[in-house]
Amino acid sequence: MTAPALPRSSTDGEGMFLVRAVLARIGFYVFAVVVGAFFALPLAWLVLAPFDKNPTLSVQVPSPTLGNFRDVFRDPYAWPSLRNSIVLALGTMAIVVLLAAFASYALSRVRIPGRNVLLYVLLLFSSIVTGSAAMVPLFLLVFDLGLINSYVGVVLVLAGGLLPAAIFILKDFMDGLPRSYEESARVFGASSFQVLRDVVAPVARPGFAVIAVWAIVNVWGNFLIPFILLRDPSRQPAAVVVYNFYTEGGQANLRLLSAFSLLYSIPVVVMYLFVNRRYGFRFHGGIKR
Amino acid sequence: MGNVRIRSLTKVFPNGVRAIDELDLDIADGEFFALLGPSGCGKTTLLRTLAGLEAPTSGTLEIGGRDVTRLPPGPRDVAMVFQDYALYPHMTVVDNIAYPLKIKKVAKGERRSKAGEVGTNLGLESMLTRRPAQLSGGQQQRVALARAIAYRPQLFLLDEPLSNLDARLRLEARTFLKRLQNEVQTTTVYVTHDQAEALALADRIAVMEGGRIRQLGTPGEVFKRPANLFVAGFIGSLQMNLLPATVTGGALRVGGSAVPLPPTAAGHVRDGDEVILGARPEFAVVERGPDGDGIAGTVAILENLGTEFLVTVEAEDGVTVQATVGEGEEPAEGEEVRVRPIEHRALVYRASDGELVGSERTVEDDAAVAERAPV
Repeated sequence: MTAPALPRSSTDGEGMFLVRAVLARIGFYVFAVVVGAFFALPLAWLVLAPFDKNPTLSVQVPSPTLGNFRDVFRDPYAWPSLRNSIVLALGTMAIVVLLAAFASYALSRVRIPGRNVLLYVLLLFSSIVTGSAAMVPLFLLVFDLGLINSYVGVVLVLAGGLLPAAIFILKDFMDGLPRSYEESARVFGASSFQVLRDVVAPVARPGFAVIAVWAIVNVWGNFLIPFILLRDPSRQPAAVVVYNFYTEGGQANLRLLSAFSLLYSIPVVVMYLFVNRRYGFRFHGGIKR
Repeated sequence: MGNVRIRSLTKVFPNGVRAIDELDLDIADGEFFALLGPSGCGKTTLLRTLAGLEAPTSGTLEIGGRDVTRLPPGPRDVAMVFQDYALYPHMTVVDNIAYPLKIKKVAKGERRSKAGEVGTNLGLESMLTRRPAQLSGGQQQRVALARAIAYRPQLFLLDEPLSNLDARLRLEARTFLKRLQNEVQTTTVYVTHDQAEALALADRIAVMEGGRIRQLGTPGEVFKRPANLFVAGFIGSLQMNLLPATVTGGALRVGGSAVPLPPTAAGHVRDGDEVILGARPEFAVVERGPDGDGIAGTVAILENLGTEFLVTVEAEDGVTVQATVGEGEEPAEGEEVRVRPIEHRALVYRASDGELVGSERTVEDDAAVAERAPV
């Protein structure tokens, strides 16, 4: 068999191709490492600085101590602020989940003309227009209601801001639940309440869990609204209190700040791990299709 | 007890679709009744209206002698098996089966033992504590049936319960379903688009199109004497031959040949009428040689169906006729043959409106039946 004289250039071409592929790969990894480092450095600081006697703004090997945490416990506002955060987060979460559950179920199952327009308008105004722009009217509203400096005022404003997006997300989830579940229960004589309690709520539970965690995380990290609506420092949540950690010299108190930041992030991380493990942040509840 | 009476039932959806159109229907107690039709014919809407999941626009609906037209689903005392089974994913098999009893306020211990009993009868005893997602399609279907049976309704409503199963399992489940209905003896309304399923299972079939019943009858009647071209084209695993023909001198002129006028049509047509000759491939005989009765043509295609062959014959004027022949009797491709529809089985439809010519039923001619065993 005479092998056709395959041009050697083809092998050269392959070699070239290989070199180029290797270079591209190396380039990609270098890029990924740079990006990764950019995000990892603050995290490294967050993990290392709390245990450092003299933390600075750079990442350094700590001279180990737990004294920073003792300072946190001694600070009159630090520890209670975490409790305040929990109260605000749980209160807001309860309102958001309850109202979003009913609203999204109704919006998913009942055909109202202009339903989608309503949803999009709500979403637009709550997520895009609010924030700093709505702060003045919101402040006046809460002031007129006499709810300044109260948890209720903050919870209502936060819940109002989160509800549209929560309804939007949950409605999508509800749309994905087969109606035949509810219909079969109805044919067996279940009342509307029984259908909701026995069938819809358990099946939609992963959706509720995601909304609950999402609401908590949002409140946990919200600075602006409690900062404006709460005057009394003993009522302020962690996100606001952190802002006040200064030394007598007017410098940021990095010892207190770093230790408190770590404590402040733990609940959110734990919750993320829990939901990710339990529900995997996937929007389906054991429904095989 | 579980009889159904439907009078001039109409359902118009908000978007203007007339899903059920002035429909009258009686279903006897204990009957296995199939609603058959292509998708969009209104069969599922009719079933859902029976269940109370859709409110009729007009007309009345009685179940077990009681007017249920305006009743919500619960008090109607019907059980429905959905196409996707609608098993609650968060409940175990036994809790799923017991759920209707829970609604009926049966005590916990009693409903669990009852659910376990029904489940065991349906061969589910080893999986009572599992969840639906851990079951195969066939097992899920049996759980859905068990849940309906445990409810002890007057009426079963089954919405395409076999369509989610694969082909092999479907045959098995079909037999299972028939045996189950024989045992339970509860009136059953069964929706399907699969004509073979309807023929195999039902005591009577209503073939639906456009929200109306196009034919109502036993599987034998619907198969042997479709009342119109729609039913003729819809029923049968093998497509019925529907051949344009002209009445000429007491015979039919089809594809350049003359075929005797079927006796049922005699006296109902006149010379020169344009008709459609309907003959099932199973009810047509292939005869060798070019001379004699039947539609003459050449064998174009031979298809092996296992126990028999499907012969496709091309006649004049672009007419093609199909017929089945027994194994070992098949002609060769290209051979000159004649296809002769069995006279007592052949049907004549008016070309104008597609209705069957000759209103009275065919006399069941034993000789004709013996000549070619029906499927």
